[in-house]
Amino acid sequence: MKLPPNVSEADFTAALKAFASIVGDQWLFTTDEDLELYRDSYSILWGEADERTASAAVAPDNADQVVELVKIADRYRIPIYPISTGKNLGYGGAAPALTGSVVFDLKRMNRIVEIDEQHGYVVVEPGVSYFDLYNYIQEKGLKLWIDVPSPGWGSVLGNALDGGVGVTLAPYRSHFDAHCGMEVVLPNGRMMRTGMGAMPGAKTWQQFKPGFGPRIDGLFKQSNYGVVTKMGFWLMPSPENFATGVVTVPKFHDLIPLVDIVGQLEQSQIVQGLWNLSSPTTGTPAFAAHESGPPKPLDSTIAAILNDPGGVDMNKLDAAAQSKGLPFWACDFNFYGPEKLIKAQWDCVCDALRAIPGAKFKLGEIRSLPLSLEEQAKTRDLGPFGIPTLKTFDLGPMYSYEGADVVGHIFFSPVIPRTGEAAIEAMDVFAAIGRKYKLPGPPLQFPSTIFQRAFLFAVGLPVTRSPTVNAKIRDIIRELVAVSAERGWGEYRTAPAFYDLIMGTYSYNDHALRGLLETIKDAVDPNGIMSPGRYAIRSRHPGEGAG
Amino acid sequence: MVTRRTAIGAGLAFGSVAWAAGFGVYGATVQGRSEARSVDVLLIDDSLEMSGQMAAFIQAGRRALPVVGFQLDAAGHAGLMRVLNKSQAIAGISSGATLFCLERIAWDHGFRLTGRSEGYASDPGDDAFRQDVVVFISGTEPAAASASPLARAYRPSRADGMLHAWIMQKSGPQLRQHRREA
Repeated sequence: MKLPPNVSEADFTAALKAFASIVGDQWLFTTDEDLELYRDSYSILWGEADERTASAAVAPDNADQVVELVKIADRYRIPIYPISTGKNLGYGGAAPALTGSVVFDLKRMNRIVEIDEQHGYVVVEPGVSYFDLYNYIQEKGLKLWIDVPSPGWGSVLGNALDGGVGVTLAPYRSHFDAHCGMEVVLPNGRMMRTGMGAMPGAKTWQQFKPGFGPRIDGLFKQSNYGVVTKMGFWLMPSPENFATGVVTVPKFHDLIPLVDIVGQLEQSQIVQGLWNLSSPTTGTPAFAAHESGPPKPLDSTIAAILNDPGGVDMNKLDAAAQSKGLPFWACDFNFYGPEKLIKAQWDCVCDALRAIPGAKFKLGEIRSLPLSLEEQAKTRDLGPFGIPTLKTFDLGPMYSYEGADVVGHIFFSPVIPRTGEAAIEAMDVFAAIGRKYKLPGPPLQFPSTIFQRAFLFAVGLPVTRSPTVNAKIRDIIRELVAVSAERGWGEYRTAPAFYDLIMGTYSYNDHALRGLLETIKDAVDPNGIMSPGRYAIRSRHPGEGAG
Repeated sequence: MVTRRTAIGAGLAFGSVAWAAGFGVYGATVQGRSEARSVDVLLIDDSLEMSGQMAAFIQAGRRALPVVGFQLDAAGHAGLMRVLNKSQAIAGISSGATLFCLERIAWDHGFRLTGRSEGYASDPGDDAFRQDVVVFISGTEPAAASASPLARAYRPSRADGMLHAWIMQKSGPQLRQHRREA
């Protein structure tokens, strides 16, 4: 029997028996075969002593059972680790942050509690996946859209708690920010509701986010202080139409005015849909800009510059691209809504970006929504249409790294200032590290515009089943984190192996943030049972609790 | 999209051309066969490009087993849920990437991967893999009683050109059942 740290076999056995009395024997899992499913398939510590694994898992059916289970865990000081569907691959999957934790598997709790078409919200339990919610809306014929991450098999609630993002309109893309009201079971087993939900019989729980008093929902992001059992989300009314407009600019350094101008358009809410950067010169694909058929092979001159072992000389690349008549940047803008609005927004984008010499503009077909099944089948990326898929798993090319098969990826996800200068610096820095370690991937990776006021670089590094190769990848990530921190770039999310490393970079005023989080942890979770170690937050009283 | 087929004919079920004339064994041994029940349904990855020859091969081998084509999109997911809820044992032909997703979806319905074989599409004339495919898709070979760690070790890729034939059996807890509305 695998034991949680600082818990006796007698106590653990008693706790498991008590768990089973709440959920039924069939929903308590302790065999190796069942616990195999709670390993992180993309663990960078796979098969090593430090791989984080569960001692048991328990699957409640409802929030009342969660209350009772948490009380038992608190009584016996059993570390617990709630998961929704456990599909958070690349950031930890279903595996706990602390080895020996009991996973609270909430996927049986898959009720769509309430959906309101008029006010555009839904209340869900943790086990509701994006596929579930999408299909429910379709079956009911509701005129609502969801904002889906890629891939779409995850939990709506769990993705939000873990900082997940989608690709439709800005107010819905950050899934945690799109939530309104949550129900939480605290570490002492007390159930609580945030926002207006704190009022019995509240009529506006999902309509008014602030509530009364301090707004504390953020504390429950990443499940350090409670098990979230219900969560409300604002949904987007189904738009009438969709269109993509493509703007190209000729030179590499046109990125600087491009980002500045688009930033103004976003801050003015003229651009609300996602915009994507791609490059016809480097062959880096986006969506509409490269819609027609498979990517064309790169020109041999350009390929030679891109693959120079000493790094990409942007001046040479610029000159080669211009001699071939290729624009360096393409920028796709997604628009939603009435045709008049799309055309007006596009006109504003064109007016603003004409300031860049050589800019060219093309608005694609304004497509009436919803897409038919035939149109969906022909559309390469359904994310901008709020339709979940798992196609992302088809995209990755098969490759090996250092002689080992790549089985997955682990994300390094720094947040970069939303300026062209910072984007260029980040591309340089990360490309140099990629060259240094011969990492698979394109010579240049472009920033993601998924956040409204900052760039995200989501760099997927290879994960293998070789401890030697994985150790090298861990070293590379440590280097990336250090290099980024020197420049003031912090990661917004990471896999368990790097929780402490990255929390360590948020060290302003002698780690005042972590100090406060630990103080709150001690007050709310004195026995340290709730997700100990997740994002490096622990009880400060080891020996008194499991954390 | 999920489509239930009662027959597979040339050009009926599968796309075209990528799969070459034969199938070679790549570490291909059918793992973990033993007791338990026969297969209820054959799942075919509709995103696979497969030759008419392969389609005919499957048609010849599958006997009376119902065939469900699927893709991992929203409509396909809904259909897959129905299949997983109703079935006790399933066999399939898919890429490694699709198997990776499907295996994890099926876990939540109590399924465990109990047997798997893989072959290179471009390696002609390998009888062992052919035999494994026939065994899996015929539905006559009972699935093993428990998960096979060896069967679970595969490359989760679509671009590697490998074809996987597999069996899963419901032997664990069914964590995900029907979607519920409060």
